[in-house]
Amino acid sequence: MENELVLDQVGKTFDDGSLVLRNIDLRLAQGTKLSVLGPSGSGKTTLLRLIAGLEPPDSGNIFFDGQRINDLPPHQRRFGMMFQEFALFPHMNVFDNIGYGLRMKGFSRDRIELRVKEMLVLTGLSGFEKRQVDALSGGERQRVALARALAPEPRLLMLDEPLSSLDRVLRKRLLAELTAILSRLNITTLFVTHDHEEAFAAGSRVIIMNQGSIEQAGTPGELIQSPKNQWVREFLGL
Amino acid sequence: MKKRLYLHPYALAGLVPAGFFLVFYVYPLAGIGVRSFFKNGQVNLFFLDQVFQSPRMLGIIWFTFWQAGLSTLLTLAAAFPCAFVLSRYAFRGKGLLQLLASIPFVLPAVVTAAALQACFGKDGGMFGVGIAHPLALILLAHVFYNFSVMLRIMTGFWSSLQGRIREAAVMLGAGPFRVFSTITLPLLRPAVLAASTLVFMFCFSSFGIILILGGPSFSTIEAEIYRQAAHLFNLPLASFLSLVQILFTFSLMWVYTSFTRRAARFMPKAEQAELKKPVRVWEKLMVAGVAVFVVGLCTVPLAALVVKSCMYEGRFSPAFYTALFQNVSGSIFYIPPVHAVQYSLLFALISLLIALVTGTCAALFIRFCDQRFTPAWASFFDPLFMLPLSTSAVTLGFGMIITLDRPPLNLRTSFFLIPIAHALVGFPFVVRSILPALRSIPQSLTDAAAVLGASPLKIAFTIDLPLIAKSLAAGAIFAFTVSLGEFGATLFTARPETPTLPVAIYRFLGQPGAMNHGQAMAMSVILMLVTALGFVGIENFRKQNPEGF
Repeated sequence: MENELVLDQVGKTFDDGSLVLRNIDLRLAQGTKLSVLGPSGSGKTTLLRLIAGLEPPDSGNIFFDGQRINDLPPHQRRFGMMFQEFALFPHMNVFDNIGYGLRMKGFSRDRIELRVKEMLVLTGLSGFEKRQVDALSGGERQRVALARALAPEPRLLMLDEPLSSLDRVLRKRLLAELTAILSRLNITTLFVTHDHEEAFAAGSRVIIMNQGSIEQAGTPGELIQSPKNQWVREFLGL
Repeated sequence: MKKRLYLHPYALAGLVPAGFFLVFYVYPLAGIGVRSFFKNGQVNLFFLDQVFQSPRMLGIIWFTFWQAGLSTLLTLAAAFPCAFVLSRYAFRGKGLLQLLASIPFVLPAVVTAAALQACFGKDGGMFGVGIAHPLALILLAHVFYNFSVMLRIMTGFWSSLQGRIREAAVMLGAGPFRVFSTITLPLLRPAVLAASTLVFMFCFSSFGIILILGGPSFSTIEAEIYRQAAHLFNLPLASFLSLVQILFTFSLMWVYTSFTRRAARFMPKAEQAELKKPVRVWEKLMVAGVAVFVVGLCTVPLAALVVKSCMYEGRFSPAFYTALFQNVSGSIFYIPPVHAVQYSLLFALISLLIALVTGTCAALFIRFCDQRFTPAWASFFDPLFMLPLSTSAVTLGFGMIITLDRPPLNLRTSFFLIPIAHALVGFPFVVRSILPALRSIPQSLTDAAAVLGASPLKIAFTIDLPLIAKSLAAGAIFAFTVSLGEFGATLFTARPETPTLPVAIYRFLGQPGAMNHGQAMAMSVILMLVTALGFVGIENFRKQNPEGF
């Protein structure tokens, strides 16, 4: 299938020999909104980093669009990612941050300008072009990070705890904003979080991870109605 | 995965400093080793005897040790109370005082020697009290020169002990003296030992000061290498002495790094310590005393230098400066002395470029090791690139002229030998300026760039290098000022028609007559001003950086 992400028995061990991920199988059709839910240390961020190509898997295969991408370096994957603390480039203004991926693609200035404007409108940041990123509020940073990840039209979008650095009130509002924007785009998303409310709001499918394995997968409704075991029930606070 | 690993540009960057080191550092040093033990292809231990059977040579080695030890103790005694006051109290003009206190260390040794001669020299000195004994002048010069580095390390460390940790001890019932003896002193010890070892090493391999102020009667290993090689043409003996010197400085460097590692482990997390205002009378007296001492120590010799350079036959006159522009027949150079300024600046510029490129490549490579391999790799290369710092300039210069004077690489008459030698000395300073900045870049930034489609090379030019621009600038100025003041290696490698400022100053000081002496003072003033300018630049670019000097 077109733009399908497939993980086949993917595993990862740390340098000290401890297992981070064991035999992960996953299949995501284009446009799927998946939430990856789990406590800290369950391996969910590592899973994202393997898919992004920031770290190589130690076993198994990762396919995208029918192509094995295990050895494809991250800058050639055309994926997008939003990082935990947003990782905005501190030496660039808002415009240059959002346009960075387009510059890497070698787009012309005009095309970059057009696309960045488009992204600013999408995220409600019009007029922020010349702002320095260290002068932005937490919510504004989050939106710049989203715009930056979306600008190069990635084939897949990953969000690594995109709301964790914000305070509680802001988190609720921005979660709604974020899911609204993402639902308008037909883009495959992987949303990593340790908060089940966020996970259920952001994903039509959810996988729950525990100690490097997928404990249970399903729609939010399925998970709430029939948690597979005691651990899942406790983790979801049911 | 492996294939990609080795093609990473930062991995390839490692080849630049590696090649540079192999040719201009390892090869010359190996040459010294070979010359020490082989003669006509046969093992020869003759020089072992020549050194260890000769009372003169043993005397030199002994003197090298005890003068360094005594200098270190005196420096410690001078810096300790100052560090206490600077780390404890806030007062007006403190910033200026600290800036002033750090100037002597960046001044070239030749300028220090000239300044002390101007201040207390045999010919009456500044205040009419000449210090006749060369040893006293040497010790004074070493204290003046190393006071800054000792003060800087100790103040940095001591300030971090003022906050919570003190309060915790006080809350547990410790009075000021108990706090000092049970908390401050034990925590401070590794830093004091580290600073002392560093200063000991500097004094141990002190060259310009010994050569200029010591005269023929006081010689250290370093100065003796030069005498044996340049005056007596006893190259094998010079080689053997160089080897001895290398062994000692390497061991000292090893001791120093193990102390700094201990100091770093004990270093509490930097917290904004509350500085006290001096309120009581004794506190005010103490602050005032330290201020007077620092100002006196750091400015009087330099002021004396400036005054002497402007006094001709008892009157104020620019005679010494104008003489620098004339090509006096029978002078020691074939060119007007002022040309030395041009050569110095030109060499400094070239060595800046070499040191900056090789140093940046080295830092990027260490950073790459940090990220891709276990920390053991980085902690292997990190000190490796610091080696030129623990090799005395004289042995470097000497090694270069005895190995790079014949095929496969003959640079004996090359214009580039001096800037290469300077770049080697400046290289560790560049790495030290850049590496902490590079390490402070969060991995997530480079990850973000990679996911956005930036290749490793593009990441280097759009993320890493722009983010460390200030440190690069600081490193560049470091390399520049190091080159301007470099004396030991230059004395070996400089050609008579292209003297640098320090070499010219040394030659002038070695000649009799008020005119020569005055011109040396004038040139020292010029060199001092250029260096001070560079130093102010570094301070501007540098954030608080506990790793640096």
